[in-house]
Amino acid sequence: MYSNAYIFRYAGLMVILVAAILSSAAMLLKPMQERNEAVDKMQSILTAAGIENVNSDNAIELFNQYVTNMIVIDEKGNVIDEYKDAGKENSEAFKVNLKEQLYNKSVNRSFRLPLYVLDKDGETINIVPLRGVGLWGPVWGNIALKSDFNTIVGVTFGHKSETPGLGAEIETPVFEDQFPGKKLFNEKGDFVSIGVIKGGVENFPADVQRHNVDAISGGTITSNGVNDMIKNVLESYVPYIQKRG
Amino acid sequence: MSTDKQEREPLFSAKNRKLLTNPLNIDNPITVQVLGICSALAVTAKIKPAFVMALSVIVVTTFANLIISVMRNGIPPRIRIIVQLVVIASLVILVDQVLKAFVYDVSKQLSVFVGLIITNCIIMGRLEAFAMGNKPWPSILDGVGNGLGYGIILIIVGFVRELFGSGTIWGYHVIPEAFYDFGYKNNGFMILPPMALIIVGIIIWIQRSRNPELIEEN
Amino acid sequence: MQELFNIFVKSIFVDNMVFAYFLGMCSYLAVSKTVNTSVGLGLAVIFVLGITVPVDYLLNDYILKPGALVWLDPEFADVDLSFLSFILFIAIIASMVQLVEMVVEKFSPALYSSLGIFLPLIAVNCAILGGSLFMQEREYQSLAQATSFGLGSGVGWFLAIVGIAAIREKIRYSNVPGPLRGLGITFIITGLMGIAFMSFLGIKL
Repeated sequence: MYSNAYIFRYAGLMVILVAAILSSAAMLLKPMQERNEAVDKMQSILTAAGIENVNSDNAIELFNQYVTNMIVIDEKGNVIDEYKDAGKENSEAFKVNLKEQLYNKSVNRSFRLPLYVLDKDGETINIVPLRGVGLWGPVWGNIALKSDFNTIVGVTFGHKSETPGLGAEIETPVFEDQFPGKKLFNEKGDFVSIGVIKGGVENFPADVQRHNVDAISGGTITSNGVNDMIKNVLESYVPYIQKRG
Repeated sequence: MSTDKQEREPLFSAKNRKLLTNPLNIDNPITVQVLGICSALAVTAKIKPAFVMALSVIVVTTFANLIISVMRNGIPPRIRIIVQLVVIASLVILVDQVLKAFVYDVSKQLSVFVGLIITNCIIMGRLEAFAMGNKPWPSILDGVGNGLGYGIILIIVGFVRELFGSGTIWGYHVIPEAFYDFGYKNNGFMILPPMALIIVGIIIWIQRSRNPELIEEN
Repeated sequence: MQELFNIFVKSIFVDNMVFAYFLGMCSYLAVSKTVNTSVGLGLAVIFVLGITVPVDYLLNDYILKPGALVWLDPEFADVDLSFLSFILFIAIIASMVQLVEMVVEKFSPALYSSLGIFLPLIAVNCAILGGSLFMQEREYQSLAQATSFGLGSGVGWFLAIVGIAAIREKIRYSNVPGPLRGLGITFIITGLMGIAFMSFLGIKL
């Protein structure tokens, strides 16, 4: 048998060893991981706007070339910060922690959200980053709107750990390509968001088709998560959109 | 520590070969040992993730078995579960961190599986049942064998579910358009998790009809 | 109070660990031969979930999440230890399980021998780690909410395993085809139960 002292020594040694290995790995690799994450975020924003041939090597360059303004707004729709210079990845808007701000929103605290403005061949495109919860973990994305803040140009979605083949399908073109052309506001000008529904959108009347896309079969909870995410995030921008007139 | 000085048996003796082949059939981790079901349900809606998962599990079982087998004489039995889990979890987290830093695209594909691998009871089950009491080389073989046995079932289930659920294999359409014109429809039920359970049930049925010695009393 | 009750009911039926998320399957399938052992394992799972989820909640709130270390020193506002959450959650779970193992061995050797290898396997019962990870992801706002979620998930798992065990005890009297007996038919019944439980998915609480 092993003595208690041995067990404690063994456990202590193991804890220190593992902690040392894991934290040094995390610290050493952090700068590279953060850069990869930033590049990935830029790629996703550019792809949502419909810019082609974006890869991890040219993302930073293209991002600075296309993005003209990075805005931070608050819950009343006021612009708090703008950034138009080079080095967009250092702007306040790019650094906003969406998860934290949406948490503030859910507990009725004040919050601030980013908005990216792109200029693509003379056309103004506004990009709103999204974040919500799927089945197993977070889902996120970017939604690109025309200058009227109503018509969707494109979307990209991502997820951390949705079920492969089911919920994970949200990041495939099959799902994403349904969004362009859909509208956020109805004909009266009220905000309705974009819904994710079951049963085949084409079987519904035109006013439903205008605001809805097909859910993923077998991925109900993830689809609902996407549905709630779009509504929750975009409704926070409504005061800003209405202020612009 | 283990010094095998007396009778050195050949690397691939009959006994060692059994370690590799038994898990493929009569000692299959999923259908006989009932290990690793959760992940089998989560990744088998399509073949591709099933394949990736199978590969990752083979790698992790092999290395975890090896490490624990090397450490086995020093681990105090009372805290063995913690030790085993810490070894598995640090291995997997470390690999994930490295992938995230150097090949971000690959890590994006794999990050889904990280949690699933750590809690996959095949790994823990083999550590507990085999690596704790055997030398490193047989432990490696046992790890590879069980990883393969797990992978085979995963790929069979993934194949059936993808073929009937989405009409594709590895993402390519294989059911001809003409079938759809005649009114054939993809069975959406197939890609729901409960169908994976039912398919595994049917695989067990087939396997046990061929190996009557596996049939249970009731 | 009502919210706590909602979380509790929701985690039993709507977000049932076994039928909605298919977590904790291995021990669920292997130990459900008789109602007695199932009750034992089910209680152990409720107990472990009821302890680990709140403990992991505190751990997450005061140590792991970004800026959580502010209570030590405002300078630590930027420290983010969330990369350690997997391993720390697992460590807490494993120590709790080992504790339960020692207690059961001491007070109920019969239960201990019938649970056998599956007691250590609670540690990798994905339902347990899943509980902690869901808790972290869903951002429960108080210890009470986390506890009621943990207990609810445990009760949901308990119900599932006792249900299947009762069916398996009865099915012994049926003429099941030989090769399907035991494990095979259990897989299929679980699939059917899962399909039935899907109807709870539509409920919004």
